[in-house]
Amino acid sequence: MGRKKKKQMKPWCWYCNRDFDDEKILIQHQKAKHFKCHICHKKLYTGPGLAIHCMQVHKETIDGVPNAIPGRTDIELEIYGMEGIPEKDMEERRRVLEQKTQENQKKKQNQDDSDEDDDDEEAGPSFQQATAQPPAAYAPMAQPGMAPVPTPGMPPGSYSGMPPMMPAVPPMMPGMPPVMPGMPPGMMPMGGMMPPGPGMPPMMPGMPPGMPPPMGHRPGMNHMPQAPASTTSGMIPRAATPAATVAAPQPVVTKPLFPSAGQMGTRAPSTSSASSSMDTLSAPSKPLSQAQQGVPGAAVGLSASSSAAPKATFPAYSQPAPSAANTGSTVAKPATPITSKPATLTTTSATSKLIHPDEDISLEELRAQLPRYQCKIPSTAQAHISTPPVGPMGGVMPAQQGASSQQPGTRHPMHGPYGTPSQAVPGYVPGAMSPYGQGPPMVPPYQGAPPRPPMAMRPPVMSQGGRY
Amino acid sequence: MTGSNEFKLNQGPDDSISAVKFSPNSSQFLLVSSWDSTVRLYDVGGNTMRMKYQHLAPVLDCAFYDPTRAWSGGLDNQLKMHDLNTDQDTIVGTHEAPIRCVEYCPEVNVMVTGSWDMSVRLWDPRTPCNAGTFTQPEKVYTLSVAGDRLIVGTAGRRVLVWDLRNMGYVQQRRESSLKYQTRCIRAFPNKQGYVLSSIEGRVAVEYLDPSLEVQKKKYAFKCHRLKENGIEQVYPVNAISFHSIHNTFATGGSDGFVNIWDPFNKKRLCQFHRYPTSIASLSFSGDGSLLAIASSYMQEQGDITHPPDAIYIRQVTDAETKPKST
Repeated sequence: MGRKKKKQMKPWCWYCNRDFDDEKILIQHQKAKHFKCHICHKKLYTGPGLAIHCMQVHKETIDGVPNAIPGRTDIELEIYGMEGIPEKDMEERRRVLEQKTQENQKKKQNQDDSDEDDDDEEAGPSFQQATAQPPAAYAPMAQPGMAPVPTPGMPPGSYSGMPPMMPAVPPMMPGMPPVMPGMPPGMMPMGGMMPPGPGMPPMMPGMPPGMPPPMGHRPGMNHMPQAPASTTSGMIPRAATPAATVAAPQPVVTKPLFPSAGQMGTRAPSTSSASSSMDTLSAPSKPLSQAQQGVPGAAVGLSASSSAAPKATFPAYSQPAPSAANTGSTVAKPATPITSKPATLTTTSATSKLIHPDEDISLEELRAQLPRYQCKIPSTAQAHISTPPVGPMGGVMPAQQGASSQQPGTRHPMHGPYGTPSQAVPGYVPGAMSPYGQGPPMVPPYQGAPPRPPMAMRPPVMSQGGRY
Repeated sequence: MTGSNEFKLNQGPDDSISAVKFSPNSSQFLLVSSWDSTVRLYDVGGNTMRMKYQHLAPVLDCAFYDPTRAWSGGLDNQLKMHDLNTDQDTIVGTHEAPIRCVEYCPEVNVMVTGSWDMSVRLWDPRTPCNAGTFTQPEKVYTLSVAGDRLIVGTAGRRVLVWDLRNMGYVQQRRESSLKYQTRCIRAFPNKQGYVLSSIEGRVAVEYLDPSLEVQKKKYAFKCHRLKENGIEQVYPVNAISFHSIHNTFATGGSDGFVNIWDPFNKKRLCQFHRYPTSIASLSFSGDGSLLAIASSYMQEQGDITHPPDAIYIRQVTDAETKPKST
């Protein structure tokens, strides 16, 4: 294995074919060479990130990745270090490298082996999601490990989805043969999900002698950390993504590359959907969401589903805030039923907290619901008829009367109690004021265009800039 | 906390401040509406309260019609005109729900109110009487007048541009370019556009001319955010006020900061010290020499104890308000 490790494909830059010793350096290189904004020199994380930056900040479109070799300028591709490189280019690179090796007369032996091993190595932690794994090569080996684990989350019938199951059998390698006897019963639960047919039988016999191979495929285990998370949190839409990735036998690989998300700002839509649903869940007990801010990264989604857990996670954070938050919500709540329940906001994410109540209504509306203001608000009828209690000067009666008598006539001010339109001030064109817009405008409307239907008024541009 | 260029107004309101507005033609007088149901007039030069009048319920906004007449509206749904010389009240009319905004449009000589009853009403200030009711798609949260145009910001992140000379149809319907609730809209004194702020620490600079070329210039930026314990606290941007001469503007956030921005060079010109609590309202005086700053908790974090509400009057210099090198 040691020998083969050296043969592992070194990090290289897809955009300029340069080799690197370390993926970190590669990423630095990409940020500096390929993802740097030519206008403000800000370093972005991905091609699309750069494109969006230029569009939003400088209103410029970027048609290609800077400093890239021809054919590799696709700005749409989300490549970060070694992640996201199209599989065909990966293969190509592999082939070229191999050719080189051959030419160099360096160990020609078992081409196949090394090829296979390459794949396995790539399955290593740094880019497990981005690389393809020829399923046939190692899936059968994985199976024995699978068997004893009746994992409910297992995708039915996809036996290459097995790697994720491995976690439950940590000492698998040496433990292999011993496991075998246990197989048949252990298999049972799986029977339902996985037609035991073709995959199984060939494997069983192969197992005992097959000891070394499992060794070789150890790297497959790297999926382990992911698997538990994705299976347990199946109900969270966001978490489902990694699950799908792991389960997918093919090189398909959707890559949830974090950099792009980070690039888009902390409130990428994808996360907000998950966390907003979470907010609704935990709306009554705000401390929950408070505590949640302490939970880093993706854990946020998870912790929310297992409602109780997060409180304990960062007591330091959750302690001081809840008291405040609690009083807020309890005081505000009683009045809430008056209006229909407003939409809720996503006020917290892993890295930021919006200092605003959960309800998506204005602060003034929320405040007006407080009992101490509610009692001051007269019923509508009162508002019209009653005289203001003591206003300093007691108010002016005629106007008062006007106000009430005017009510019905509100929409037709010109025929209101205050006489004819002609009375109106010069410069103030009553005709143009007609609420129905029937009066010919005295002044040509904006840009001299004839009145257009409202829809047409919305220039297409409006959407162009997008939201910020 | 308050230096030689800044002082706190005496006899401030007894509850939170909803709006501060300088008199149109003199930086001597400041109108202040409050949740304590009063509207107060201050003599800024003398640092005294000249008078106050009462509503039945908290007042959400106020505006000068002319130097002697103040208009105001609030949770009692009533629109009041108050003669500041004679101290006489006139109830001009009502909305069917609390009145959130009161503005005056000098070009068309009309008062404009926006309400949670999903309408904008115009009022003839001379008579005074209602001059039309115009339905909006949602509750009105903010509005501003740019020449003869009216920009209305409502719940649901909608923005409507009306022509005050012809209110027969909506001139432009837009969606806020910010993802969160609209908090405040103020028009450029040059009437070419407006600035819109949201509850999520962000401000957008927008232009009224719908042509592609002009629309290209619009942009938005983040502000009023503080990093605490590794978590970014994002605050609502409650207040915007334009400097009438330089077309620069001040923003006030629930973080207690006031920033002054140069929208043309996309630069922040300055940031003042942190005020005790949220900035609820801002107003530049007509000549741009003073900035009234209402520091008043707005219950962003619930009904909790908070620093006292106060109004600060700050002298601003050209260095703080004038775009650099252009």
